[in-house]
Amino acid sequence: MSPGAAEGGFETSSAATKKHSKKPKYSRFTQQELPACKPILTPGWVITAFIFIGIIFIPIGLASLFASENVVEIADRYDEDCVPSIYASDTLAYIQSSQTNKSCTKTLTVPKKMKNPIYVYYQLDNFYQNHRRYVKSRSDKQLRSKANEFETKDCSPEATVLVSNKEMPIVPCGLIAWSMFNDTYRFSLNDKAIQVNKKGIAWKSDREYKFGSDVYPKKFQSGVIGGAKLDENIPLSQQEDLIVWMRTAALPKFRKLYGKIEVDLEANEKITVVIQNNYNTYSFRGKKTLILSTTSWIGGKNDFLGIAYLTFGGLCLFMVISFIFLYVVRPRPLGDPSYLSWNRNPDGLLLN
Amino acid sequence: MKQICINTANTDMLAQDPKKAAKENILMQITNASQMVKLENDPHAAFALIIDGKTLTYILEDDMKHQFLNLAVDCASVICCRVSPKQKALVTRLVKQGTGKTTLAIGDGANDVGMIQEADIGVGISGVEGMQAVMASDFSIAQFRFLERLLVVHGHWCYKRIAQMVSNTSRICYFFYKNIAFGLTLFYFEAFAGFSGQSVYDDWYMLLFNVLLTSLPVISLGVFEQDVSSEICLQFPALYQQGQKNLFFDWYRIFGWMGNGLYSSLVIFFLTIIIFYDQAFRVGGQTADMAAVGTAMFTSIIWAVNCQIALTMSHFTWIQHLFIWGSIAMWYVFLLLYGMLSPKYSGNAFRILIEALAPSPIFWSATLLVTLACNLPYLAHISFQRCLHPMDHHVIQEIKYYKKDVEDRHMWTRERSKARQRTKIGFTARVDAKIRHLRGKLTKKHSTPTSPS
Repeated sequence: MSPGAAEGGFETSSAATKKHSKKPKYSRFTQQELPACKPILTPGWVITAFIFIGIIFIPIGLASLFASENVVEIADRYDEDCVPSIYASDTLAYIQSSQTNKSCTKTLTVPKKMKNPIYVYYQLDNFYQNHRRYVKSRSDKQLRSKANEFETKDCSPEATVLVSNKEMPIVPCGLIAWSMFNDTYRFSLNDKAIQVNKKGIAWKSDREYKFGSDVYPKKFQSGVIGGAKLDENIPLSQQEDLIVWMRTAALPKFRKLYGKIEVDLEANEKITVVIQNNYNTYSFRGKKTLILSTTSWIGGKNDFLGIAYLTFGGLCLFMVISFIFLYVVRPRPLGDPSYLSWNRNPDGLLLN
Repeated sequence: MKQICINTANTDMLAQDPKKAAKENILMQITNASQMVKLENDPHAAFALIIDGKTLTYILEDDMKHQFLNLAVDCASVICCRVSPKQKALVTRLVKQGTGKTTLAIGDGANDVGMIQEADIGVGISGVEGMQAVMASDFSIAQFRFLERLLVVHGHWCYKRIAQMVSNTSRICYFFYKNIAFGLTLFYFEAFAGFSGQSVYDDWYMLLFNVLLTSLPVISLGVFEQDVSSEICLQFPALYQQGQKNLFFDWYRIFGWMGNGLYSSLVIFFLTIIIFYDQAFRVGGQTADMAAVGTAMFTSIIWAVNCQIALTMSHFTWIQHLFIWGSIAMWYVFLLLYGMLSPKYSGNAFRILIEALAPSPIFWSATLLVTLACNLPYLAHISFQRCLHPMDHHVIQEIKYYKKDVEDRHMWTRERSKARQRTKIGFTARVDAKIRHLRGKLTKKHSTPTSPS
């Protein structure tokens, strides 16, 4: 049964009868004839591309390096220095006892003029805030609103406490909050105290949306003490140290913003800092460092970005030179049919 | 072309075992023919083997099959006439199993169905004899002459596209490449997270990676990629041999792509980590947390992987541009929208783009650096390869690009005929053979002193 079979007699009956055609409708899309650009890598394009990349990279690298070199940073590791010599062999007993004097005074020398704002950080080393168990141990629901107080699902073992035979939730629950950093720093210059502004150190979105203004700490650090205690009269949205701490860091060595100094520091000035060495990093061989740093448009001091850009820019220019050399030494005329495989080895093309 | 006919002679009916006698007769014919083919000196000679259905019934029995196959393979063309559908299928199976090569069967009637199904590739012609062949086939065409286009244009393109997906941006290799580049960064992070299984990326990033953000360019490559246009495929059938010789799907390429993926993953991970190390990443003094580092790293992966596929494509329609650059744009749009959802759903990614990352110049410069660092080795590699060891389609692309086919029509025509030359069959071959024969005679005439006319 062929639908196209012509009944010979009727075909010519009227001019309007057209022979039925099964040819599919032509469209550029279905016939794969869409207009296209077909770029090919000619030597000109290759060299242009590499030069272009090199020309962009090298100035960016220089600018980044320059900016990073302008950042002034003071770093002072104090966890070993701040243990009194009598406790040098038993640091754990020192840090865990509430009777020992945790006060420690150190002097920092300003290497170059530092313009305000100067950022104060504490740096921890060998502290795995990125460990999966640790990262999970919090309750974002509880932090957002008072109504979710009892949402302490992932927080164990710091989830609830027994108060007269009733399970009361810890607010904020979880290991992250429990292990909050609690060293403090007081700066003074020539016996005059330098104010450290501790407002505005956390992300605005955290303060306004993630930490509720109706959530107050409750039953916090009521068992084993793991870190800082929180003032029960201040809502979480204003506890910026906690907010900063709860943004888990990516690497085991990290810095967190402690505060801002809003005065300039001149070169060679001697800053006295009184550290309350409260935080226990001794049980896991962690390190604590105090950092003062200015910032530039790229942030803190890190030469790597600049160096990496310069390296790749240099590599590109090296590629340009080697390509030019190659095209000069072994030129291949483009579109030369003698490079087709059947011209190069005439016997090689047997269909077997 | 010399013809070899094998037929069942009317043997002596009085012989004791007529079947055995017939078989011996046929075996003798086959042996003689094989001898003749082997003793042929002329390298351009071609043989045609002709058999009928009655003879095939004897030949297809186990003891004679292989001699028959050996003879058939030496011939340029084999014609089996008056065969039953079952015999068509059996002959196809014999060739398939005996030679181990890929076979193609084409037919239009119900009697071809067995053969079409037996062959590796079955092509059915829809038309006068109905639709049975079409329904049993892998490909169907409307006229026999479309077979040329099917093989030489679409077959060639399909091979290139699949090989490309696998390897280099070629589909399969590309899948290896992008997933190695992505997955290994997760693994490296574990070394810094105490091997606790913490992922540096948000769950939604990982979900969308293969589904939305890197799949569309691959699809566009698989559907639309053309290394050379269809006219060139038809004019240069020798390009089809790239597929037959499997030049694009070898271990060297696969391992090369895996190596590229490994290199990319190292570059992406370590450059991002060291750039965002511990210092502030913005002028406001804030340090980067895991969400920021993870998002920055993921952005670099999306850019690197999509630019890589752009480098491997040679045919850019508006669709490819839309898919590649659209995928990258879609990532930013997703990040923006995800960040705008309440923290109940977006968690640490809440407002991460607008608040933390976008205003930070380090974020953008890290992306630029990592993307170009990942793609530079590949760019250098293909540039060197094109310069020193150009493949056929590269040369042809250049000829077309510089319009040398228009300038020098003789060269173009000559190359086209050379690309068809080494075939022993068909009209072209016979014409070529005739031309060679005449040319041979002409040179002989000129080399000997002119004979008196």
